[in-house]
Amino acid sequence: MNANLVSQGIFYFFAALTLGSAAVVVFSRSLIYSIFGLLFTFFGVAALYVFLGADFLAATQMVIYVGGILVLLLFGVMLTHKLYDLDLKTETFQVIPALLLVAAVFGTLILAMTRTTWFSGAVRQPEPTTAEIGKLFMREYILPFEVASVFLLIALIGAAMIVRKGAE
Amino acid sequence: MIGLTHYLVISAALFSLGIMCVLTRKNAVSVLMGIELILNSANLNLVAFSKYTAGNLDGQLFAVFTIIVAAAEAAVALAIVLSMYRLLRSVNLDRADTLKG
Amino acid sequence: MDPKLIADLHKFYPEMVITGTLLLVVVADIALPVLRRSLTFALTVLGLAAAFALTLPLMAVQPGSMFYGMIALDPMAVFFKAFLVLASLLVVLAAPGSKEFSRSNLGEFYALLLGVTLGMMLLASSTDLLMFFLSLEMVSLGSYIMVGYLRNDRQSNEASLKYILFGAVSTGAMLYGITLLFGVTGTTKMVVIRHVLAGAAASGENSLILLVSTVLILAGLGFKIAAVPFHFWCPDVYTGAPTPVTAFLSVAPKAAGFAIFMRFFFTGLSQAGPQLTWSTFASINWMPIVMVLSIVTMTFGNIAALRQENMKRLMAYSSIAHAGYILMGVVVLTSEGLQAVLVYLVTYLFMNLGAFMIVIEIYNRTGSFELKDYRGFYRRSPFLSISMSIFLLSLMGIPPLAGFFGKFYVFAAAVNRDLAWFAVIGAINSVVAVYYYVRVMKTMMIDGSDDMSPVRVSWDSKALIWVMLIPTIGLMLFWDQVQKITSGSVGLFLGN
Repeated sequence: MNANLVSQGIFYFFAALTLGSAAVVVFSRSLIYSIFGLLFTFFGVAALYVFLGADFLAATQMVIYVGGILVLLLFGVMLTHKLYDLDLKTETFQVIPALLLVAAVFGTLILAMTRTTWFSGAVRQPEPTTAEIGKLFMREYILPFEVASVFLLIALIGAAMIVRKGAE
Repeated sequence: MIGLTHYLVISAALFSLGIMCVLTRKNAVSVLMGIELILNSANLNLVAFSKYTAGNLDGQLFAVFTIIVAAAEAAVALAIVLSMYRLLRSVNLDRADTLKG
Repeated sequence: MDPKLIADLHKFYPEMVITGTLLLVVVADIALPVLRRSLTFALTVLGLAAAFALTLPLMAVQPGSMFYGMIALDPMAVFFKAFLVLASLLVVLAAPGSKEFSRSNLGEFYALLLGVTLGMMLLASSTDLLMFFLSLEMVSLGSYIMVGYLRNDRQSNEASLKYILFGAVSTGAMLYGITLLFGVTGTTKMVVIRHVLAGAAASGENSLILLVSTVLILAGLGFKIAAVPFHFWCPDVYTGAPTPVTAFLSVAPKAAGFAIFMRFFFTGLSQAGPQLTWSTFASINWMPIVMVLSIVTMTFGNIAALRQENMKRLMAYSSIAHAGYILMGVVVLTSEGLQAVLVYLVTYLFMNLGAFMIVIEIYNRTGSFELKDYRGFYRRSPFLSISMSIFLLSLMGIPPLAGFFGKFYVFAAAVNRDLAWFAVIGAINSVVAVYYYVRVMKTMMIDGSDDMSPVRVSWDSKALIWVMLIPTIGLMLFWDQVQKITSGSVGLFLGN
């Protein structure tokens, strides 16, 4: 029973970390704070994946989101501002109407979710997922798997082409 | 007891925060961060449903592909933003105004 | 290896050829810098032509699902594969002729276009939510890059920035909606979704979450077909992108978007009823929502087009309006409506691409897309002016040109479903549209201008324009064939 309480406590900690960092991303005036807020958001989500028994996904999240996308965003920020201007304040559009709209969206979502009877399949017991995911990639999900590789190829070609210097 | 609803509330909050970020920010990279929040919220939904309603790994597989798409999109978006910076020396969306409307 | 998988691969030749061509083009672009321009062009054209030829035998194949239920192969999927490959082929033939690309290496352009074509073919056949999302993103991502292809052009860059930011948010919201649907039904396969919803349908429960989910998914689909209120990217992107890309965007991804629109709503969210009509579930009656979408889209598109002075912007609003008409065919929930969509898309392909080709030609000679520089073009090139008039008359829906048939089928489908008032709204909109199309015609044919220098059109551009003209004028002669093919495509589409 004590273990249950501890695990609940840890869950709420990570939930708060995730949402708090996300709030920093949205409302912070400094771009660098936003980026680091995003870092902790990704980290919090990875922890939540672990709670949900998705071990492979949690590792993938850390490696790709933090190790790849976040670093890319950081490069993007660094390369698009003068280096000494790291204070990087950003202005915002009309906040109040947006806040109202977003609150309405959030309210609707919560209302809809609480009124729903979700599909009742079995609840999956926690067990390592990596081997099973690997098998699924080669069987039921083989088509998306192969398509994803072509997809990444054109993303690669396209991104490299746009950024390349020089005359057309 | 931690249940499905807890995760759904978190993902709804993340989704709303992501929309807020997209609507109110003027810096192109900030808008990108909002988009990443939205995609993460959807992923959280997928994994939560995978455990509690579907009972199999379908949601997790879907989430892996979403991560793949998000990475590619972020790369291309940053390439375009860098290209904009090279042309305009700024990534403030107010400066993107030659096409009226 | 699974024998079913091998059998599926034999039905997958067109996509494999496209992928192979893509890889060859990438290699050729790097490996042979000298012959680059012509080699990549030739490879792309040959690859697309081969893929087109390979889609035709697929019509005779027994309909079924492929790759563990990820995509379906039925006559409608085959129709769209052929359509999309043809559209890509025509754009590839037109692209090098545009002065906007005169200083660009088009190798990457062809590679991107092939990738987008692959994505579109998969999108039009998707029967699984994952495949739907993945292929939609593939099409969108390739499009974002193609729009920004002119790296040093400020408008091209701005267009691609707006496109990707708007698109990523729309598809992100759509993804969230997809996850909600997944939660309610426990599956990502559209056929199974229908069964689950049918089971719970009588009670009408879960209607709020399904409504939220559908609206979010409509955000992504509406973005792809440029329906109001998800159209905001369209005028800017169409104006800023290189014109061949604009032409491509206005027909191909839009058609693929309609294909998956039909497939998702008919396979997942409806059930087949008697006499080839469908009905929605009590818990998610999407018909009025899409009907409103259709009306708002066509009305807004037409009204906004009235004041436009830039040809590309005008065509952007025009294509928004046309999306509204096409949605009408989807809303009526009959096989007649589906057939109307197919007919409309075929006519739209030729008349829209034709109009854009002429815009490209005029830009090549005058360097402008502004309507005021089109004045008196009749004296300078009767061929271009008359061809443009024909395309515009077809877009207006004047018989006996092709565009009339598209509109006729859509309105007739609505009337036959006791939705005559809906058809009337469409008809009024068509009349409003006449104003801005006629304005362009008048500017070219009647207005005078100071510059009277004759404009010579190269023979290959002329040939391409004729390829667009012949179906536009002569469609009524082939009416039987078109009828048969489109109704055959719909007949077996019972939602695999």
